[in-house]
Amino acid sequence: MPVERDIDRTGAPGKTGALSRSAGDGGPDAPLYQVRLRPHRSLSRRGFATFIVITCLLLTLPLMALLGSAALWVLLPFLWIAVAGVWFAIHRSWDDGRLTEVLTLWPDRIRLHRENPRGAPQEWEANPYWTRLELHAEGGPVENYITLNGGGRCVELGAFLSPEERLDLHGELARILAGLDINARR
Amino acid sequence: MADSAIHGHEHEDNRGFFTRWFMSTNHKDIGVLYLVVGGLAGFISVTFTVYMRLELMEPGVQYMCLEGARLLASAEECTPNGHLWNVLITGHGILMMFFVVIPALFGGFGNYFMPLHIGAPDMAFPRLNNLSFWLYVAGTSLAVASVMAPGGNDQLGSGVGWVLYPPLSTTEGGMSMDLAIFAVHVSGASSILGAINIITTFLNMRAPGMTLHKVPLFAWSIFVTAWLILLALPVLAGAITMLLTDRNFGTTFFDPSGGGDPILYQHILWFFGHPEVYIVIVPAFGIISHVISTFSRKPIFGYLPMVYAMVAIGGLGFVVWAHHMYTVGMSLTQQSYFMLATMVIAVPTGVKIFSWIATMWGGSVTFETPMLWAFGFLFLFTVGGVTGIVLSQAGVDRVYHDTYYVVAHFHYVMSLGAVFGIFAGIYYWFTKMTGRAYPEWAGKLHFWTFFIGANITFFPQHFLGRQGMPRRYIDYPEAFATWNYVSSIGAFISFASFLFFIGMIAYSLKFGRKVTTPAYWGDEQTLEWTLPNPPPEHTFEILPTQDQWDKQPHH
Repeated sequence: MPVERDIDRTGAPGKTGALSRSAGDGGPDAPLYQVRLRPHRSLSRRGFATFIVITCLLLTLPLMALLGSAALWVLLPFLWIAVAGVWFAIHRSWDDGRLTEVLTLWPDRIRLHRENPRGAPQEWEANPYWTRLELHAEGGPVENYITLNGGGRCVELGAFLSPEERLDLHGELARILAGLDINARR
Repeated sequence: MADSAIHGHEHEDNRGFFTRWFMSTNHKDIGVLYLVVGGLAGFISVTFTVYMRLELMEPGVQYMCLEGARLLASAEECTPNGHLWNVLITGHGILMMFFVVIPALFGGFGNYFMPLHIGAPDMAFPRLNNLSFWLYVAGTSLAVASVMAPGGNDQLGSGVGWVLYPPLSTTEGGMSMDLAIFAVHVSGASSILGAINIITTFLNMRAPGMTLHKVPLFAWSIFVTAWLILLALPVLAGAITMLLTDRNFGTTFFDPSGGGDPILYQHILWFFGHPEVYIVIVPAFGIISHVISTFSRKPIFGYLPMVYAMVAIGGLGFVVWAHHMYTVGMSLTQQSYFMLATMVIAVPTGVKIFSWIATMWGGSVTFETPMLWAFGFLFLFTVGGVTGIVLSQAGVDRVYHDTYYVVAHFHYVMSLGAVFGIFAGIYYWFTKMTGRAYPEWAGKLHFWTFFIGANITFFPQHFLGRQGMPRRYIDYPEAFATWNYVSSIGAFISFASFLFFIGMIAYSLKFGRKVTTPAYWGDEQTLEWTLPNPPPEHTFEILPTQDQWDKQPHH
């Protein structure tokens, strides 16, 4: 599952969180860090159209052979079900792939935005200083379950990633949040 | 926002035997299930043939008597029971076409290895996959039940041939025929759902960077097969639905007395039936490509031509159907078209055979068991293909139609083509799937006994066909005795070899040497070789990177 760093202005890990806020790219209100988590999908819209067009063209062959016969009307629904089935399945698979979690971090705000395959998107916001990042190696619904506790709620992060990816993500977030902390107290 | 679910605890995977094998949504487990159930159905179907070959061994009827079917010949009176014979050929055909070869190649290897080849964590719809499998089991049970249910001629089972031609199928008595139709319906539903699942997985879940022109050939072959199923099976479903209504609700789609046309059924059936034979053989093409490449220590020759040859074979499969029915009274123009279109199929098939040979050319070829099976496939499929060209000619087909020549032809491409593909796949991936090795000598013994047995069975049938012996009869004149006797001996050798194979698999599962090298054949071109033997429950949850699979110089 891809984990994409859209923005990372938190500097190299060795610099103990030297946040380059004066770097100028984006101004003071620009986010310091943004990570986008999503499942992978490989089919393009054009590819889908090509596939359906060829399928339908080939399906007209038996129909042409049956023109003028009552058997055509028995065959038609079955062919229709096949095309509808594969159409629905690919769209369903795309929809499942719309699941996206975007975690954005500002100096004074942390926001998690989740696009759901079905249903409304969800939002969570908290103050990063009071946000508690936790990794539950065991006992969660999945191995290496990541939770973010803050703003009066406890939310999950990247539950659809692999355990190893969550471990990496947790390490990275922990470093950034800790760096933010040090920076703020300075 | 998805609130955390940390309070619900103990979600570790401790699947018991029942949960793992009966409620499985894991593509690898379902693949294994398909192979096991396909093997069982294959065994039933093969016992039918052994009994039939026993009956055909000598002229006259010795075993299938109206007084009761016998296993040992005796001096007692024996009235030939043609119905039993017809039931057995029908059962053998239906089981082999719908419940053995497709489930083993497409359901079994397709489910197991196609997602691994494209680096997908599982199928796109794991629960739908489970549904497909159990529909298949239900269909198999119905098919077996139809053999034992009250049928035509006041006996058990229906004997109309696997093609279910009306008026035979619409007038056959009893409920056996209806059960057979339901069996095909259910297996068709299973195959279509499976095909939709595989198409979605293949199109939408390929690893990043794996464009369609970089997908391994086996995954391509499974995709082409799935597409053929999606296009052909609904046509069959429509055809047999009309049979069902003709039988039970008084419609006359195929009954001339009500304005219907029995030949129309043949057109629809073969519009499905010809792609069906490619559905059976194309996954074997995929397996053979990998086996030949592995044991020649060379990447496959002509990857893109190989892909488009499979696509072309699939496409041409839809426009040649009437060569199965030259004798029904088509116009000369129609016959000429179907004859030429059929011959064109030899071109993409030739491309494939050429590329396989070119792959071996200059490679360091070694003959481990899977490679022996691949060689067997190559040789026998070519023989079957050549007799196919002979049969494609409308004029010559007048002579060979419904003779043993046709039987020999389609058993060479399917029994000796597809089945050799299945065995090549089993030996190639057995260690990957189970973590254990089979004894190499046993695999080779199985190959040689089966290769010799199957050839002794089917090659003489060419002679019988040329002498004019018709298909689907329980008895024959003295003149055909010699080659029928030889053919039966071959069938017994093949059956003994099959029993030996079952014993060897049982032994290897329990006592086989454990193998821990992931790429135990020394081939690392595809992604399954990066996994341990057997692969863990979850694979490729982290997307594979391009350097793990992109090892082809032609990409």
